[in-house]
Amino acid sequence: MKSLIAFTKKEWMEQLRSGRLLLLLIIFTLFGIMNPAIAKLTPWIFELMADSLEESGMVVTTVTVDAMTSWTQFFKNIPMALIVFVLMESSIFTREYQSGTLVLALTKGLERYKVVLAKSFVLIVLWSAGYWLCFGITYGYNSYFWDNGIVQNLLFSVTCWWLFGLFVVMLMVLFSVMTDANTGVLLGTGGVTLAVYLITLLPKAAPFSPAKLMGSVALLTGAEEKGDYYKALPITVVLCVVGVMASIPIQNNRRL
Amino acid sequence: MEMLQITNLKKRFGDKEVLKGVTLAVPEGGVFGFIGKNGAGKTTTMKTVLGLLKPDEGTILVADEPVVYGQTATNRYIGYLPDVPEFYDFMTPSEYLTFCGEITGMDKKDIVTRREELLELVGLSGEKHRIKGFSRGMKQRLGIAQALLGRPKLLICDEPTSALDPVGRKEILDILQAVKEQTTVLFSTHILSDVERICTDIAFLHDGVVCMQGKLSEIKSGKRTEEYRIETEREADARTLAEKFSECALSGERQLLFREGKATIFELMRFLADKEIEIAGVERMEPSLESLFMEVVKK
Repeated sequence: MKSLIAFTKKEWMEQLRSGRLLLLLIIFTLFGIMNPAIAKLTPWIFELMADSLEESGMVVTTVTVDAMTSWTQFFKNIPMALIVFVLMESSIFTREYQSGTLVLALTKGLERYKVVLAKSFVLIVLWSAGYWLCFGITYGYNSYFWDNGIVQNLLFSVTCWWLFGLFVVMLMVLFSVMTDANTGVLLGTGGVTLAVYLITLLPKAAPFSPAKLMGSVALLTGAEEKGDYYKALPITVVLCVVGVMASIPIQNNRRL
Repeated sequence: MEMLQITNLKKRFGDKEVLKGVTLAVPEGGVFGFIGKNGAGKTTTMKTVLGLLKPDEGTILVADEPVVYGQTATNRYIGYLPDVPEFYDFMTPSEYLTFCGEITGMDKKDIVTRREELLELVGLSGEKHRIKGFSRGMKQRLGIAQALLGRPKLLICDEPTSALDPVGRKEILDILQAVKEQTTVLFSTHILSDVERICTDIAFLHDGVVCMQGKLSEIKSGKRTEEYRIETEREADARTLAEKFSECALSGERQLLFREGKATIFELMRFLADKEIEIAGVERMEPSLESLFMEVVKK
């Protein structure tokens, strides 16, 4: 336990001193501000463009925006935030393989599974903190400008998306223990994400795919019910646990 | 007691057989030099001892316990310094040693005393900067400190001096010399002068097998070839000698190397006396490690 804590502490120190932590916080904050800001600016943009639109024969009436506009933006932008997160953290394992820093820790008797656990833990905390920070900021602005009450199933739908993020984190860990280079992690994570997304295009298989959780914006307007997610949710949770557990024996057997 | 006992270790990478049955015993105490050319398999052997590589065949015992690949419990006896040690360079040396102590489960007080002791030993005690800007020599010294932190019974250094300048090399050798009281040192190298300076025992690894091992002093005396360097006053005499004795080889205009074979040194001397050949000097050659090494490699 002591060694697990020590290694986790080292991971935090690395995130902090390399500036990654700060950068992630800034990025998620910006995304959080962007959602209501875009919603707030929409009428103004339309107004600015009204003259030119009128010339082309379109009449612009007053555009009304509300919390829903902002939340729709949230779900549009969060995939971008996830991609930035993956790009920034994809080397969390591989840079240690390539520099050889892990060899010294492991030859000191640090068990390999603790490396997987510590790094998974750090990734989960970083993603969760960033995600909920982004959510919190959007929520705060939305309740200040408009009324969050008009959106349905808000907490449930954002939790779905957060879980999808955890699924991607699991993929990062899994591909990190299987490959030596950053590109392998990115390709693997991207490839599987694309695959589960393609599954959602098949109507019959769609409810079972973790990528179903990405479409949870449909819950806000009531276009879908919570029940529509009751298959994808447990499947994703199980996949996350299985993925991290599978990473451990793979890590134990890899050559360093 | 043998600190490390390797028996018939084999390892191949693809179709290249790197280790072809290495058998090696490192006795407790002293400094053991593990000598071989680049690519002889020194690093492969050491990594297998550390459980970083899976052997194809053979057994390894560290302090009489077998080494298991992957989760290697025997590593608690070992301090390891890789050829190019890489540290978390966002840490300071003192933070790094604390981290190392914590992952090995040392208690807090012990970490602090040991850390200060070792930083002092390797001359990094005043160093408050992060490892990022360290020179190779400084990293190598920090590497020794981290390897010694847990008071290992066996210190394994993979070519600790190869990449260093003469000053850096001397520092490392002095440190290794100093710690041999506390631990058994096994270090690999291809720099023979380093071996002659500090080693008590040696083993030559060549072509995937250990072809010679034992006490440095015994190997040197046992391998004493009867070799003499002879210098004549006149060039013509040197040529005459070279023609007369097949054991003689010209090594300069007036210099010869005489290696006893059919003809002994006495016969040569008798010949010199008979012919009244004037001599500038006769010297018996000490076998150098280099000549041993060359002999081993040529075989």
